[in-house]
Amino acid sequence: MTKTAKAPKIMTKSKREARRAYCIILPFFIYIALWGLIPLVYGLYLGLTEYNGLASSPKFVGFKNYVDFFTTGDYLTLLWRQFWIGGICLLFNTVVSFIVGLALNVNSKARGFFRTSVYVPSIAAVSITSAIFVALLEVNGGINGFLKQIGQPTITWNYSQFWMVFWVVVYFLWRSLGPAAIIWLGGLQSIDPTLYEAADVDGASFAQKVRYITIPGLKFVASYIILTGIVGAMQMFDIIMFITKGNPYGKTDVLMYRIYRDGVVNFNMGMAGAESTILGIVTIIFAIIYFKVVLRKED
Amino acid sequence: MRKAGKIVMRAIWLLVMGVFSILMLYPFLFSLMAALNTKTEFSNMGDLFPWPETPQFGNFSVIFTSSGLRPLINTFLRVGWYTIIVCIMAILVGYVMARYNFRGKKIFLGIIIGTQVIPGVLTLIPTFVMVANIPLVGGNDIFGNGGQGLINSPLMLYLPLGWGYLMWVFLFMQSMKSLTPAFEEAAEMDGCGFFRTMFQIVLPMQLPIVAVIAVNVALNTWNDWMTPFMYINDMQESTLPAYIGMLTAQLQQFGTKDYPRVFALSCVAIVPPFLIFLFLQKYIIQGIASAGVKG
Repeated sequence: MTKTAKAPKIMTKSKREARRAYCIILPFFIYIALWGLIPLVYGLYLGLTEYNGLASSPKFVGFKNYVDFFTTGDYLTLLWRQFWIGGICLLFNTVVSFIVGLALNVNSKARGFFRTSVYVPSIAAVSITSAIFVALLEVNGGINGFLKQIGQPTITWNYSQFWMVFWVVVYFLWRSLGPAAIIWLGGLQSIDPTLYEAADVDGASFAQKVRYITIPGLKFVASYIILTGIVGAMQMFDIIMFITKGNPYGKTDVLMYRIYRDGVVNFNMGMAGAESTILGIVTIIFAIIYFKVVLRKED
Repeated sequence: MRKAGKIVMRAIWLLVMGVFSILMLYPFLFSLMAALNTKTEFSNMGDLFPWPETPQFGNFSVIFTSSGLRPLINTFLRVGWYTIIVCIMAILVGYVMARYNFRGKKIFLGIIIGTQVIPGVLTLIPTFVMVANIPLVGGNDIFGNGGQGLINSPLMLYLPLGWGYLMWVFLFMQSMKSLTPAFEEAAEMDGCGFFRTMFQIVLPMQLPIVAVIAVNVALNTWNDWMTPFMYINDMQESTLPAYIGMLTAQLQQFGTKDYPRVFALSCVAIVPPFLIFLFLQKYIIQGIASAGVKG
């Protein structure tokens, strides 16, 4: 009777809080890990298998897929193209959005309208707006119609690698400019205006003000735009898929598009796994390199 | 002299920005005009401003047939579901992370921040294969073989929850940290339970940040055409943006191209995000800005 008269469990406040915290956090984290962690680990294994068609089961083949990747040449071309097409998109987007951000940093009643029209393209999904570009780039589409009107020869856009990349970049710019410009604008507005006043007093020119006040003040915003930009550009394929389909003759095909086709269309899952791992690692390496370069500059 | 220069500068600015704005808006204008054409009229025209002889509003009726209406309803249901579930997650987990002290908190914080930099490509295809091999569903045996798992299942519109959503937890956590805990402590003193404190004390004060989260999640979910596009072949079970993506992909094939139909559907699919943007702009902008400044 006397030995264990169940002592009433008195939990301290912190214990109660800890228990409640786990009860709330763990279900969400475990569920997210199901959709994040398992595929991440599984993807590493997938790259080491031969796995054709969902009905079959994966067969372990070691590094065969990776050897294929680096010896066939096809894949390296696609990786290189992902890099340079994505790079051009990112470069133009960063520069042009900065200029737009600067242009929006003016007090005016019209600014709200300008900001809205710059931002609006990004609120519609790529799948919704890319058909517009496809229609305009038809052989007898809107742009060729315009060229005819002004007496210029028409261009068969999708026979030319240059023009296809050009329009991919234009579409990328049109859609991604807004958010980047808004972030630049936020950065510009967070710079202490008294710095500019002091510079005015000292007689600094516009270029000097940009060089010595604006650019240093935007370092953080810039690294955010470029870092997320690198990750985005290295995985960009939806625009390619809709606007060029990799044409002409696969000359605008990129690795991410190939991964998508290998995985979801052709069910060559082992190879898709290996390609994904390589592209993912390359992306992370680029991000780290960029990060290191920025950090070193600050020292 | 200086003042005149300023006026000239201002005029140039207005002109350049005006032209630029019109260029940015032009594609929408184009798709709206094209949606009013007949199929043959549009393919013969080849004009930057394809204004039709007689506007065909009939193209928009596609949305009221079953092939347009079902995807539209699916999209709304999906947006509603993710907005609610992500808001609940952000509020509860964000609150606990900001207020409570417990073992492993640093690890959870590390997961929230660290996973934001993992490229999506690393999980895209493995997730697809994993979904196909979930045991005991879609004709799969207990080891996940034999069937197609949840591929083509309408459940795929609602089940996936990736790391990206943890960003909103982080946002709510940061906002919670800038709020004094005095109110909740007082409520607790008066014997107010956890959930009541959350909904009657915390939530009303945090409404702006919840609005930022809700608006951005709703917009992102509406525009996430990729998941339905990948996992669901039957367009009746899919969402409107994915359905349009499918039609756009078909435009590259040979044969008759029904551009006006695609554009009519696109115009419908743009309306909800556009309305969200028009009326809740400041929340969207705040979402990007905070991602940029804090992330």
